[in-house]
Amino acid sequence: MSKIDRCKLYVITGETYHPNRGLLEVMESAILGGADLVQLRDKDAPARELLEKARALRELTRRYGVPLIVNDHPEVALAADADGVHLGQEDAPIAAARELLGPDRLIGISTHSIEQARAAERAGADYIGVGPVFPTATKPGRTAVTTSFVAEAAAEIRIPFFAIGGIHPGNAAEVLAAGAKRLCAVSAVVGNPDPGAVCREMRSLIERSERAASPEDAAVRERAKEVTVNGVLRTTEAGTLLELAAEFGLADKNAVAEHNGEVARKAYWPFLPLKDGDRIEFVHFVGGG
Amino acid sequence: MRNETNDRDALVIGETRLRSRFFIGTGRYPSPAVMLMALEASGAEVITFAVRRVNLGCAEDDSILSHLADRKLIYLPNTSGAGNADEAVRIARLAREAGLGRWVKVEISANSRTLLPDPIETLRATERLVKEGFVVLPYASDDPVLCKRLEEAGAAAVMPGGAPIGTGLGLLNPYHLGLIAEEARVPVIVDAGLGSAADVAQAMELGADGILANTPVARARDPVAMARAMRLALEAGRLSAEAGRIPRKRYATASSEPAGVLFGNAGGEADSRRRPT
Repeated sequence: MSKIDRCKLYVITGETYHPNRGLLEVMESAILGGADLVQLRDKDAPARELLEKARALRELTRRYGVPLIVNDHPEVALAADADGVHLGQEDAPIAAARELLGPDRLIGISTHSIEQARAAERAGADYIGVGPVFPTATKPGRTAVTTSFVAEAAAEIRIPFFAIGGIHPGNAAEVLAAGAKRLCAVSAVVGNPDPGAVCREMRSLIERSERAASPEDAAVRERAKEVTVNGVLRTTEAGTLLELAAEFGLADKNAVAEHNGEVARKAYWPFLPLKDGDRIEFVHFVGGG
Repeated sequence: MRNETNDRDALVIGETRLRSRFFIGTGRYPSPAVMLMALEASGAEVITFAVRRVNLGCAEDDSILSHLADRKLIYLPNTSGAGNADEAVRIARLAREAGLGRWVKVEISANSRTLLPDPIETLRATERLVKEGFVVLPYASDDPVLCKRLEEAGAAAVMPGGAPIGTGLGLLNPYHLGLIAEEARVPVIVDAGLGSAADVAQAMELGADGILANTPVARARDPVAMARAMRLALEAGRLSAEAGRIPRKRYATASSEPAGVLFGNAGGEADSRRRPT
């Protein structure tokens, strides 16, 4: 089992998103929040500066046992003793990088279609990026592939894949529901004043998605159950809070929900299994003084 | 000269600088259209509303916000319907989840006939919500000691009531309201019980930093005109307070100098002796 298998949340550096804070400070916050794979990406830095950054990040990531990937430059990855390299479709082919890095280091590649994903898997990539799922400022001009490519990759790609591109806590559920098990983010994490908090939220979504996919949860979801909605006892076939909201036409309204006395964030509705005896409140704003 | 747009005159609550000192409620208007026009006429930047269950029988049941989209407003959800601190905290969290900011008006009624705020639960809820990062504006009794305690608990402003909600009785205890305004180190917004523009002017003359009104605007014969009247009264009352009223005296003082008065030596002669006989 490759060390990439247990990675769920991939965070890529983007220093232009945090001009007033240091690289290490931001990435440490992300790691503390649950980022378990880090990539150094800096298209503009001269080679020497890039190596310095790679070495500094190597020290940081090693302290936390997090693998470090360097974007575009296998020789920098080697010099800094990083765990691997990430390539774009326009970069050197996987075979050339493999020759340089040897069998143990990781090689990842960005893919933008299922054909590219298949080719990467055949060429021996350890993982792929699948995206951009949504439009993103990090890759301006690139057409978003939407969650349909995520679903295609989930159905047929056997190496780990990270959904990437415009993903943030508000839309991650949609990407996970399409079949992603791993997420990657840049601006949503490093551009936030609290990168750790964003990572915690994304991890929590990933974990909820995993639980929702478990057979036990699926069995609970399929049974009809009695729940109290806005003070009225009802029988429902809905498996999740989202399905229940949809029964009342609330899935795309501005309603806010409470589940057994706790606020249920909308992003979690798809993963919140309903159980017998649950108490749900759907509320909204009305006129008042 | 005081200048209306002068930034020094801005009311600062939490970290927000407000141009208007009029907080307006959104309930009980004849129609959403009238509400919007009254809001416009009031010049208010802060609007209040309540959190209620969605009517599940009617998916079209629309929230108040759909009428306010695109306006640059500060949303102040209240916790009306809460009877204790726990319920108020739950409502505040739900309101925050809607993503419209972190302001909350703590409103905990102890009695359904008077809707007077429960001071103990209001203080408890304020303490908890401040810890959770809310900008807390508690609706409170017109009690200077309680208002001080709320300020110490971290309230961003205190909102003592003039009279019970919706009564239009005006300021029942001007002495207390004046003391609260005098002692507070956070803004004082007089909330509830106002009846007309005169009450607004009086509140401002007593030293309040702003007012919150809903029923007296919404239920006026002409809500839009009343919104404007209250806006002007707020301005007038504030100017008057800054200008400084004269002391109250028991007897008259002539507006003109006594020297040169035409008949007799003014005040020197008993008034009764000057009547025709």
